[in-house]
Amino acid sequence: MSSVLEISPLTRVEGHGRINVLFSGTKVEKVSLSLYESPRFFEALLKGKGYAEVPEIICRICSLCSTVHRICSLIAIEKAFDLRVSEQVRLYRELILYGGHIQSHALHLFCLVLPDCFGVAGLSGLADKIPQELKRWLQIKAAGNLIQETVGGRTIHPVTLIPGGMGKPVNREGLLKLRDTLQRVLPETRQAYELFRSFLPNADKLATPLYVSVYPEGVSSFFGDNLTMGNGETIPADSYMDLLRERMPETGNAKTTLVKDQPATVGALARLNLGMPLTPMAAAAFEESRMLMTGADIRANNLAQAVELILAVERSLDIVDILIEADFTREEPAKIVPKKGRGSAAIEAPRGVLIHSYSFDGRGICMGADIVTPTAINHAAMEQDLLALATHMGGADDEGLTGALEQLVRAYDPCISCAVHMLRI
Amino acid sequence: MKKPVIAIAGLTACSGCQLTFLNCEEELPEIAHRFIIDYFPLGLTERLITGPIDVAIVEGAVSTPSDLEILMKLRNCSRSLVALGTCSLWGGIAAMKNQESRKDLAETVYGAAADGLKTFNPQPFHRFVKIDFAITGCPPEKGEILATLAALLRGNFPVFPHYPVCSECRCRENLCLLIERNELCLGPLIQAGCNARCPAVGIGCEGCRGPVAEANVVADMELLLKKGFPRDEIVSRMQRFYPEWNYEQRS
Repeated sequence: MSSVLEISPLTRVEGHGRINVLFSGTKVEKVSLSLYESPRFFEALLKGKGYAEVPEIICRICSLCSTVHRICSLIAIEKAFDLRVSEQVRLYRELILYGGHIQSHALHLFCLVLPDCFGVAGLSGLADKIPQELKRWLQIKAAGNLIQETVGGRTIHPVTLIPGGMGKPVNREGLLKLRDTLQRVLPETRQAYELFRSFLPNADKLATPLYVSVYPEGVSSFFGDNLTMGNGETIPADSYMDLLRERMPETGNAKTTLVKDQPATVGALARLNLGMPLTPMAAAAFEESRMLMTGADIRANNLAQAVELILAVERSLDIVDILIEADFTREEPAKIVPKKGRGSAAIEAPRGVLIHSYSFDGRGICMGADIVTPTAINHAAMEQDLLALATHMGGADDEGLTGALEQLVRAYDPCISCAVHMLRI
Repeated sequence: MKKPVIAIAGLTACSGCQLTFLNCEEELPEIAHRFIIDYFPLGLTERLITGPIDVAIVEGAVSTPSDLEILMKLRNCSRSLVALGTCSLWGGIAAMKNQESRKDLAETVYGAAADGLKTFNPQPFHRFVKIDFAITGCPPEKGEILATLAALLRGNFPVFPHYPVCSECRCRENLCLLIERNELCLGPLIQAGCNARCPAVGIGCEGCRGPVAEANVVADMELLLKKGFPRDEIVSRMQRFYPEWNYEQRS
């Protein structure tokens, strides 16, 4: 006798997803995770568009990570045209990237995960149960959004980031306000970290993931030109196709991305395990919980994100101080001379490695685009972990199993809107 | 007073409109107290749409049978339906190539697997159901979402401006990017309400809020052509969020 448990739609995750657990008697036969987001054909939308339109269109792929998509797109375009941006532009991009990470991690931790910790269904439950704490945690999220709004001109789909440069820089008043806000929330990030450390599941360990991240260079933790894996190997980001292989599964259309024929895991936990440089308070927090995160399965990802919240606020403060000191005035964007060729860039999005790769003709018209998103990379590992957990919980009732599996997917912080990309053009 | 029961959902979109709601950090606890949130998959563990719902607030375009099913279900059990964001109102970013073959677009991205996709051209809600109110923008303005929720507590809807982005831009005394810097700014054609946020930071209006009523499309096109922009570039920019401009419209 076979039966199926369907969990649809997945709740408290971005986008539309579904889990199917297939039982033979009481034994779990198979678990599948479908990301059934409506396809928007972004790669096809970009084809034929001028390079200047590309970042403005592609950031709409996803709202939670629109800033990082936009920056990744800019870097890929600038690589294709051999263009270097000024120190001012580089600093502002790094600052807004941290703003995006703060916003995204805070959304995930405080709006999507926290209800699980307090046994409620959503925000209303939290507002009843822990009203004061919720307000304080939301202030962290608001600080990330303030960076995005102040630097990007808009909180979601930032407008000032353009190829070769940027719109108006932030005035002194804006920077001082950012500094005040960030200083105020920094102690809160430490409190949040302690909260999530107390919520680590006390469960049997799942398989140790094969972590992959951008190989960090310099102090900018989320930028780099190489990808690295747990075994110490690194490869240049623009030869990502050699590392990430796509495989058609036996059923369904969704291709699975594998690294060396294994499911790979990207995201905050992978970054911390692969030696991302940390700021003082973040390093202290990581050191205290090193045993909980080293080689841990994805359920430690929430704690890893809490460490990164501290990191992102600290590093943002450093950059704001540099910007206040430098007192930049508006500069004209670098002159762009399009040329035929290809440009690829990798960057750490809140949920892991993100790659954009474009080819342009001699007029700068986009002829091909390839976007590899962290959720697409994590898909295979999610299915593997779901099967292991469901098998392990054999005999549990539907409600218990539903809750546990949904929480496991949530720990990956999937972003399904941007994950539905499967084939290169 | 009885708390209004609301539903918040997303169809074919980036979740940016729902995220804008969640970005109202200051007001969220208050909203949680004043409304009963009955269905909101992004933020609440509740898988079933049961109703009755006072107001369903829905983002995204309709591009799959499943989108249509959710939209119909919500329409059927809700007193009012609010279209949230540019995709729901105008088709939005995913609709920009609606005049091209859907099959070709699908094959470009999915190759042979495209055949199995159940998808049609992304469409705004009004093609399928009656909408009672709309909040435009990609993403929408936080202030307009909050104004709408506040009005709902009084049992009505707010009134939003019906003039172009240029009106707000001039009030802010921004440099005119179109006239003074010869940039391709779509301000004259686009619905205001954003307080001209892009021109204010030196970036031309990309048209994310959709057409303003009585836009003089013919005059704007003539102006842009006279400034030397190629017609195909102008059309590409105009269609980014709304594929169905009437290029003959004079106001």
